[in-house]
Amino acid sequence: MTTNRKAKFRRLMLGRRGNDGLLFKIVMYVLLVGISFIFLYPLLSMLSMSVMSLEDLIDATIAWIPRNLTLANYATAFSWMNFGEALKASLQVSVYPTLATVVSSALIGYGFAHFRFFGRKALMALMVAMFLIPSVLTYIPTTVLYNDLSVFGIPLNLTESIRAFTIPAMLGNGIRQTIFILIFYQFFRIIPSELYEAAAVDGSGVVRTFLTIAVPMAAPAFLICGLYSFVWYWNETALARAYFGNTYTTLPMALEAYINTYRSLYAQGQVNLDSVSSTYNLGVQYAMTLITIVPLLVVYLFLQKWFVEGVDRSGIAGN
Amino acid sequence: MKRLLRKLYDTVLAKPVAGLKTLIGKASRALTSKVVEPLRVWRIRTVDPVLAKVGRALGLPTVARFLRRIPQKWKNMLYGYLFVMPWLFGLGLIGIPLLSKSIRMALSEKYYFITGVGWQISGEWYEFTQFKRIFADQPWHLEQIVGTFQDVALVVPLVVVFALILALMLNQRIKGRAVFRTIFFIPVILLSGNMLSNFSNSGLLTVPAIANGTISRLLAEYFPEFFATIVTTAFTKIVLILWLSGVQILIFLAGLQKMDRSTYEAAEIDGASMWETFWKITLPALIPLMYINVIYTTVIYANLSNNAIVQIITTRSSEQGSLSGTLVDQINFGRAYSAALSWILFAIELTVIGAYAGIIRLASKRYE
Repeated sequence: MTTNRKAKFRRLMLGRRGNDGLLFKIVMYVLLVGISFIFLYPLLSMLSMSVMSLEDLIDATIAWIPRNLTLANYATAFSWMNFGEALKASLQVSVYPTLATVVSSALIGYGFAHFRFFGRKALMALMVAMFLIPSVLTYIPTTVLYNDLSVFGIPLNLTESIRAFTIPAMLGNGIRQTIFILIFYQFFRIIPSELYEAAAVDGSGVVRTFLTIAVPMAAPAFLICGLYSFVWYWNETALARAYFGNTYTTLPMALEAYINTYRSLYAQGQVNLDSVSSTYNLGVQYAMTLITIVPLLVVYLFLQKWFVEGVDRSGIAGN
Repeated sequence: MKRLLRKLYDTVLAKPVAGLKTLIGKASRALTSKVVEPLRVWRIRTVDPVLAKVGRALGLPTVARFLRRIPQKWKNMLYGYLFVMPWLFGLGLIGIPLLSKSIRMALSEKYYFITGVGWQISGEWYEFTQFKRIFADQPWHLEQIVGTFQDVALVVPLVVVFALILALMLNQRIKGRAVFRTIFFIPVILLSGNMLSNFSNSGLLTVPAIANGTISRLLAEYFPEFFATIVTTAFTKIVLILWLSGVQILIFLAGLQKMDRSTYEAAEIDGASMWETFWKITLPALIPLMYINVIYTTVIYANLSNNAIVQIITTRSSEQGSLSGTLVDQINFGRAYSAALSWILFAIELTVIGAYAGIIRLASKRYE
């Protein structure tokens, strides 16, 4: 009787063939929930600190739940960042380059995937090798190069305008664009060749085949690349500062400016625990960070269903 | 709600919409039969013969025959080049000039700006001035380089292993998988640009209990030093490591989803345990993805803005000064010095990738 019960318990805990045990499941759920908490932790703690009043921020006994809920931090943040202007700049700086990136990546990816031409493998290897080169390495000469870049003697005037982002993106040299080209490459490669052959039999030309067969089949790739590229251009501050100077101040750039001011004030001892400032404190900083992030989160939550599925199907994994 | 709307539409809007549709259909048909078709007929009768004559006079049919005789293979090549053209342009216009310039900068003595003249480079390449500075004059920076190297070498395998474990977990049949996946994607969205250093500077990426060092002290007492370093790194950076493994989890997941179920069933029938299936079926299939993940992790981690070398490079290279650019380069080690440093970072990346690729290769030999 006892041995029977023991065996039953064992089976329940450790599982049998084809069925995982309870113990295993518990461990897994604990891990998954724990890790999810780690991913959500910064967002949650920023959220809670951003609605704290000054007294609550200083009070060491308050860790998570503020005693006085306040939205004053957000008001300060919105006005400090000059939200409307910054949002407009952010959208401009991320939407146009994203469009350029997606279109050019699709073309280049299709070229590499669908046509056999001399030097194809070598060029692809070169492309991947260029990806390995640290971005900071090219960061320094880029600003100089963009300043006097010209095609057939016509200057492109890349500095101080969005062209500094869009033109490289059109030419396959945008931020981490190699990844996008490879994603498109994988997508176009897994389209069954019968489809192409059928189109060719029906007398469809190269451009038409690309537009009516390849592009619709690779719809998830457009989504993935669009989202990634939007996020990366949105969050880019170092390059944006180098290229645009003061022409555009995006949301992340405003956030960075705030943090720098805050830090220098703190270093000078003008802002600390004794002399608190209602403009420069962690509450406002976190409110600003959230304001910067929220548009991305909204876009992501809208797209995430297609996004996750698309990635599963995409075979970014390569074969 | 949906049904109510539907009903409302049916009763109110359906008729006018249908009427509009037929109207548009009629109009378009009338347009084709009254305008477009006569125009086409007129074109065929009058313009086309003239065009044909002109074409024949120019020798177009011979050209067309010639074009038709070009093998499909060549045409495909041509189209291939056409599609890849943007990237080729980019390579010639941006990629290669950037590379050559940064090599020249790293091998120069000074890189400075003179108003009205532009950027100047001085010094001969074979003098390796900047590299001499790094390795002889700057013990502090050399320390940073060694530290970065150790850091990258330690964190990269940890990220890849964690990503593998998490991907295996997410691939199980569990409840709420969609929710977990949504959450596991958040790092990809948030961690780019400067956001990571914002987070880590605010202490949002460490677990307080670990950060105060009790665990690492205990570990250091009871374990050999080498092992203790690895474990303490894993502990102090666990959150950072998890944050960094978003894309890698995806890559592994995509690979796991493609796995053939029947292989697993066969293994199960043969009485293989879960442990054995993992080592003998799952892992070998994931090895190509391991290479990709090692490369991706190394590139991303080495270029993070909270990396010591990257910080030196960004502060040094953003130091402005028109004529004083000369001074910046001589005294503070400006752009030329940064360029040399970034080539060292590249060397670090290559070494780490090479080493781990070698290890994976050796480890996977026994599967062959």
